[in-house]
Amino acid sequence: MLYIHHTTCISPQPRLVGGEEASALAGGEGRGTAAGPVNGVYKVVEPGYPGIPPNTLRRMSKAVRLGVGAAMPLIRQERIDGILIGTGNGGMEESVKFLRQIVDYSEGMLAPGNFVQGIPNAIASQIGLSGHLRGYNSTYIHRGLGFEHALIDASMLISEHPGTHYLVGGVDEVSGYHYRIELADGWYKTTVTPGLSLYDYDSPGSIAGEGAALFLVSGESADAVAAIKGIETFHSTDQHIVATRLRAFLARHLPAGSQPGQQLSGSPALYLSGENGDNRALPFYSACAAVLDPAVPVVRYKHLCGEYPTASAFAVWLALQLAPPQPLPQHILFYNNHKLTQHSFILLERFR
Amino acid sequence: MASRVFVTGMGVISAIGDSLAANRKALVRKESGIGYSGPANSRYVGVIPFGSVTFSNAELMEHTGIYDAGVSRTTLLAAHAFRQAIQDAGLLLSEATSGGAASGCTTLLTATDTALIGATTVGGMCLTDELYRDTNGGAQGSGYLASYDGASVQQYLQNRYGLSGLVTTINTACSSSANAIQYGGRLIRNGLVRRAIVGGVDSLAKYTINGFNALQILAPAACKPFDEHRQGLNLGEGAGFLVLEREEDLAGKKVYAELRGSCNVNDAYHASSLSPDGEGPFLAMQGALRSAGLDASAIGYINAHGTGTENNDASESQAMIRIFGTPPAFASTKSSTGHTLGASGAIEAIYSILDLFYQEAYPSVNFSTPIPETGLRPLTEFKPMKLEHVLSNSFGFGGNCTSLVFSVAPARLAKVI
Repeated sequence: MLYIHHTTCISPQPRLVGGEEASALAGGEGRGTAAGPVNGVYKVVEPGYPGIPPNTLRRMSKAVRLGVGAAMPLIRQERIDGILIGTGNGGMEESVKFLRQIVDYSEGMLAPGNFVQGIPNAIASQIGLSGHLRGYNSTYIHRGLGFEHALIDASMLISEHPGTHYLVGGVDEVSGYHYRIELADGWYKTTVTPGLSLYDYDSPGSIAGEGAALFLVSGESADAVAAIKGIETFHSTDQHIVATRLRAFLARHLPAGSQPGQQLSGSPALYLSGENGDNRALPFYSACAAVLDPAVPVVRYKHLCGEYPTASAFAVWLALQLAPPQPLPQHILFYNNHKLTQHSFILLERFR
Repeated sequence: MASRVFVTGMGVISAIGDSLAANRKALVRKESGIGYSGPANSRYVGVIPFGSVTFSNAELMEHTGIYDAGVSRTTLLAAHAFRQAIQDAGLLLSEATSGGAASGCTTLLTATDTALIGATTVGGMCLTDELYRDTNGGAQGSGYLASYDGASVQQYLQNRYGLSGLVTTINTACSSSANAIQYGGRLIRNGLVRRAIVGGVDSLAKYTINGFNALQILAPAACKPFDEHRQGLNLGEGAGFLVLEREEDLAGKKVYAELRGSCNVNDAYHASSLSPDGEGPFLAMQGALRSAGLDASAIGYINAHGTGTENNDASESQAMIRIFGTPPAFASTKSSTGHTLGASGAIEAIYSILDLFYQEAYPSVNFSTPIPETGLRPLTEFKPMKLEHVLSNSFGFGGNCTSLVFSVAPARLAKVI
């Protein structure tokens, strides 16, 4: 079993640090307190990065900066035996910068900085370099499922090597070149209306976002904040398949009677939905909601972080900032849909 | 007790051939695929040597039956090797060549407990000019908007072959597909899937040619891994896929070898070069031996990472000396294929498995003078060799180092001892 001990997050919500404020924001009632999109994009509010030397910081791409910045407080907590990072866009901006130089300078002699920083593994490897961490190091780039595949790998490592600790997370940046590609491909709204809730649009596309959410995990239950009980990822264009797989997922990981006083099979206490304002994705979210007991409260979160491939890492982090519910422990279900074809379920048990 | 994991199917395409048989034939005959062809849109083609796959995109389309819009050369190469691997393992019976979904997929191939773990570094960024135009903005995108990233390769294979299980893409630079093999093997050992199709691909592209040129590590002539006078690497292209299955599911199947051990570590030294003492490579090889439950002396042959750069070969040599004292027979098949980046871990795993399956060792080409500090000499002639365990090394930018240990299949063991 994978237990979460510590978390960090760099997100567009600098005020979102936990407690009641977080609870209000996550309920979607906090308009006015939650930071909305600026110029049509949810941009992170970057910290001062006190632990990173200025010269090193200057050479980092934004995605690397976010990843290393979020990792710094965690790698001081504990011995780290490995780093597992999911990233969908990581490195894309640097890669395109390099590619454009190739064309603009007709393959002249170029500086390699953007090329090296543009490899998506730069995030995990720079964390390793910053902390002199020589353990396991891997990077999952499968669009909207990279964070989930990093978590699956961490859970395997924990069962293979008892007593080990890993840094796992999702890191993505929104950047100019990549934004244009995604916009042209229909994934972002062409007009963003100030004051309109993300969920009140009835149009295709979402609003771009970014962030880094990292987790310190191990197989030790003592003092853990939460445990990951199940993860499933798959590809489908059929909402009925998504509903069928959710039913089977819940039956497997949350059978009837597994919680005190709970009779209904597969009913979590809370459901975090990755709904993103894209009306094409609604049938998938409706199909999942229909599987759950209507009494299960739904929390949407992409009005806080925007849409990006590893937004589900933000969701897991957010769920652990919400005011502690009663009774504990509590099972929390996450469903995320990326680009209408990639689906992920995560089941988490929160202890405190 | 975790299941043991075996290789039951393989497919490969590289500068030295478009099938297992063609690759083996070239390795046996010590034929190099390094030459002066390459992507037509780069000014370096004809100037510096590369390891190109001889097929044009049109020929790859003809061979794979893939004519869909928005498919990159990277995906075509992957599809070629992927189809060979699943046919070899009996997961694909036949395939109609009319685009879209493939026919002949078995229920095992499409089952939810079959995973696909792919790896690539360039992905669709081989589409330099299309990507350039699309990043200029404007309403009308090219037909490749969803094809630039690495995941596009696996996404295409998944759709074409109706895969419904876990599908992912790994990018740890030049060790990417060694990590894909390791991840697939561990999914099986952990009981999360029953079989995994694992591998990697990269196409030769203006993008990577200029990246490595900017780093000044492209050799002006054919590369000479482990030679004192090495001048850098030759970029290559290709794809390799392997089918991994549980020991319990092997009845009646051809078994090439066992995936016996693996280890992934980070050198944590520099963003684009390895530590002089080879700490990362050392830890990767040591960890792979430990996970295989083997002493260093059990390894009969090493398919070295051996890129031909000043830095890699010195670092890897130091690490081999630290592990083995006197290393066993070793060679770099990159001297035949060029450095295929995200594909190299899988292609070289396949060569390592062919070494075991046919009880023979493939040589390096172009070697003449050992590095004075280490004195190591790679194998320079093909030779039949009794082999029980083979090590395959893959090291990448960002310090990502992975070593894999393959062992001879039990049915063939009797013939070895």
